[in-house]
Amino acid sequence: MVDFVQLVILGLLAGGVYVAVGVGFGLVWGVLNIVNLAHGALVVVGGYLTWQLFTTLHLDPFLTLPVDAVALFVFGYALQRGVINRIIRAPLLFTFLLTFGLNLIVVNLLLLIFGSDFRSVTPSYSGQGFEFGSIVIPYVPLISLGVAIALSASLAFVLNRTRTGLAINAIASDRDAAQLVGIDLRHAYAVTYGLGAACAGVAGGLIALIQAITPTAGEPYTLQAFVVVILGGLGRVSATVVGGLAFGLVEAFGQSIPGSGSVFANAIAFGLMVLVLVTRPQGLMGRLR
Amino acid sequence: MSEPDPPTRVRSTPQLELRGVTKRFGGVAAVDGVTFEIDEGDIVGIIGPNGAGKTTLLNCISGLQRLDGGDIRWHGASISGMPPHRIARLGIGRTFQIVRPFGSMTVRENAAVGALFGSADARRGPKQAFAIADEVLELVGLAAKAGLPVSALTIPDRKRLEVARAVATKPHLLLLDEVMAGLNNVEIDEALEMVRAVHATGVTVLLIEHVMRVIIGICRHAIVLDFGQVLAQGEPDVVLRDERVIQAYLGERYAKRLKP
Amino acid sequence: MIARADTHRRWRRIFLILGVIVGAYALLAPLTSLDIAQSAGVPLLADRLWFRIATFIAMFVVMATAWNIIGGITGYAAFGNVAFFGIGAYTTGMLISKARWPFLAALPVAPVMSTAFATVVGLPLLRLRGHYFAVASLGVGVAVGELVQNVEYRGQPIFGGASGLFLPIYAVDNRGLFFFYLMVLAAAISIAVTWWVLRSRLGYGLIAIRENEEAAAVIGVNTTAYKVAAFALAAALTGLAGGIFSQWNVFINQDNTFPIEYNVQMILMALLGGTGTVFGPAAGAVLLQLLIQFLGGSLPISADIPFVSESARPIVAQVILGVLLVVVVIFVPRGVIDFFGGRTRLSLAYLRRSLRETSL
Repeated sequence: MVDFVQLVILGLLAGGVYVAVGVGFGLVWGVLNIVNLAHGALVVVGGYLTWQLFTTLHLDPFLTLPVDAVALFVFGYALQRGVINRIIRAPLLFTFLLTFGLNLIVVNLLLLIFGSDFRSVTPSYSGQGFEFGSIVIPYVPLISLGVAIALSASLAFVLNRTRTGLAINAIASDRDAAQLVGIDLRHAYAVTYGLGAACAGVAGGLIALIQAITPTAGEPYTLQAFVVVILGGLGRVSATVVGGLAFGLVEAFGQSIPGSGSVFANAIAFGLMVLVLVTRPQGLMGRLR
Repeated sequence: MSEPDPPTRVRSTPQLELRGVTKRFGGVAAVDGVTFEIDEGDIVGIIGPNGAGKTTLLNCISGLQRLDGGDIRWHGASISGMPPHRIARLGIGRTFQIVRPFGSMTVRENAAVGALFGSADARRGPKQAFAIADEVLELVGLAAKAGLPVSALTIPDRKRLEVARAVATKPHLLLLDEVMAGLNNVEIDEALEMVRAVHATGVTVLLIEHVMRVIIGICRHAIVLDFGQVLAQGEPDVVLRDERVIQAYLGERYAKRLKP
Repeated sequence: MIARADTHRRWRRIFLILGVIVGAYALLAPLTSLDIAQSAGVPLLADRLWFRIATFIAMFVVMATAWNIIGGITGYAAFGNVAFFGIGAYTTGMLISKARWPFLAALPVAPVMSTAFATVVGLPLLRLRGHYFAVASLGVGVAVGELVQNVEYRGQPIFGGASGLFLPIYAVDNRGLFFFYLMVLAAAISIAVTWWVLRSRLGYGLIAIRENEEAAAVIGVNTTAYKVAAFALAAALTGLAGGIFSQWNVFINQDNTFPIEYNVQMILMALLGGTGTVFGPAAGAVLLQLLIQFLGGSLPISADIPFVSESARPIVAQVILGVLLVVVVIFVPRGVIDFFGGRTRLSLAYLRRSLRETSL
């Protein structure tokens, strides 16, 4: 029983990271109809930024997260406005390939700058946690979960209560009509991608705290972002939150299966995703597009 | 060989029969308990205000939508639940309101694809399919443009192509969805000629239309839909004088025009 | 105007002749390595490195051409076709190393297994459209690779696990020559199959599905059956390439039989050369593979990238590849073959036009 509770806790905590990784990805996919294969690369950039600030300025990693967000927002905005906007009307195949190319560029530039050594961010309190009898709630993942929820809440706030957010919603519903009412598409698209990148950056910072990062560490996260978004349902931030937490739980329980459970992580993830796609394409919470 | 007897309304099995056909989207019944029959060789028109469920009805008949209630019978045998390609094989062809040509093919190829597949009477090999395509293009008046890409066609011509492709499947029943929409008077006359020519080859025609003179001009039988239900059916000029129909659909102006 | 069309046609003819000459050289040069040729004093035009690269290129011709059947002709952009490659490789590999089958008997089983897998997986998958299908097929591709590498029975990995599977070296004279021609044969088969499909009823049906699936259904195309058929066909050809690869490379594991990059490469090759055509993907495969090899420094002729050290070279090569990918995708949506096929002229106006069509 205790083990079960511990697993649930670990699953939910791990889910925090998945939520952070998923919301940005889902935003770009849901609004811009872009499957961003470079998402993982953006996450890693955030991770390195956090590492750099932690190592040279000795900032608490959680304090570097806003910096990650802003820096990646700017980068994402520029990327969308300058490059991705050029093929947005082309069939989806092209956005796949374009973002894949961007992924190649970013990851390899990171390799050139930082080398392939593993870097980790270990503040003084990592590894410690609250203890209730034999149940442990580690600090770092707990705060990460909090950050992830806060991130999602802020994103939802921006999308639902600000002018920019409403413009983005309008575009998601009907691009041409949105243009007709005077929304500057190029700017709105760039803002959307920027927001997605900002979320990725924050996710990267969180990830740097729980694992060692290297430029190629982002790939699995792109793939996992897929699963999270599809699991929860494309279209709403809350759906992605559910998807992320659910995925965290699935992974926690999957890894506890005796034998080589952990090795099958990817296979489980994808099996689950394909299952969802085939049986309930709108995900746990989404509406069918 | 003696002459065939003139068609009489004998109690024979209708070619197409709809009984209580119902299709719901969410809480709304787009088609609600529709019942009617079509005999072989008929030309039947379906009219009704926008949103009355006409296109949904065609989608149900051609198998693109599953029924939520009722039954559709072809020569007495039920076809509800059949996938669209099997319904096409039985000999029911259709056009779409917003035309759907195969953009990367030429006019001739579009028509030929219909002959490659289609009803059991069609299904030829590529060579024969192209021969059928040529015949069909002649019938609809597109023979001169056979080699052109679809993008080079005007809207009326694209509608002709849509009909040509459907006719190439050698249907026994052809469902036409607002073929006349967006055409001017001259074009409507030409389209009317085309529909007559198709009908003359022995194909039963069921057409959805908004243009009244088409319904009066060629339909022997008209069915009026409103809010997914059959409001009235019968001979066109009788139906169009029906108070309920006029109220629901035609408005004062046209009703006045009809009164002698 | 006419003068321009003439020069354009002249250029096309020149490129066509050039292509035929290069192709003939590529196909005949390996023969110079035979003993008969050597003793007759014929200069050696192909060495081991040549064979390795050329066979690799032929392998990608197979994969790109195969992908084109489901992705280009039918319009269902599958993103996980590498799964078929891996399944084919492991099928042949297992039969040879564990069951001791001879290579030529084990090889035909590879496409059979891939086809069976594609049929089973394709039925549910092909009901999805657009993004969902692409993502699901990617998922299947990744999951299969993971499973094959890691699945165990009684504590032992069935398929060799992380340490992979070793095959006995195929005992045949002129191994490089043999596998090169075998792979070229597979490539020829792929191209022939594509050619046949495009003029058959299947091809017309697939194109109809691509252009407008509902319209195809109402004129009588059994869309489910046709889509699965296209998927299975692509799987068979890709699986064949995998089967050949396993014996040729003698060693297989998850990394070299299920690499995710292959998915993108085969799509990019088809795109570059022109999807939906017979020779397009092949042309794209040749061009892209040569480029990748060139940038990676594995070609005998290689330029030095200035300011870049030897160790950084492969990384910089990837960056250049990424940039090229981005540029190509933005500026050349319809592919090289469109230009050679005479439908467009690779002019600034064309580039500008295609850019305008696709950007906001």
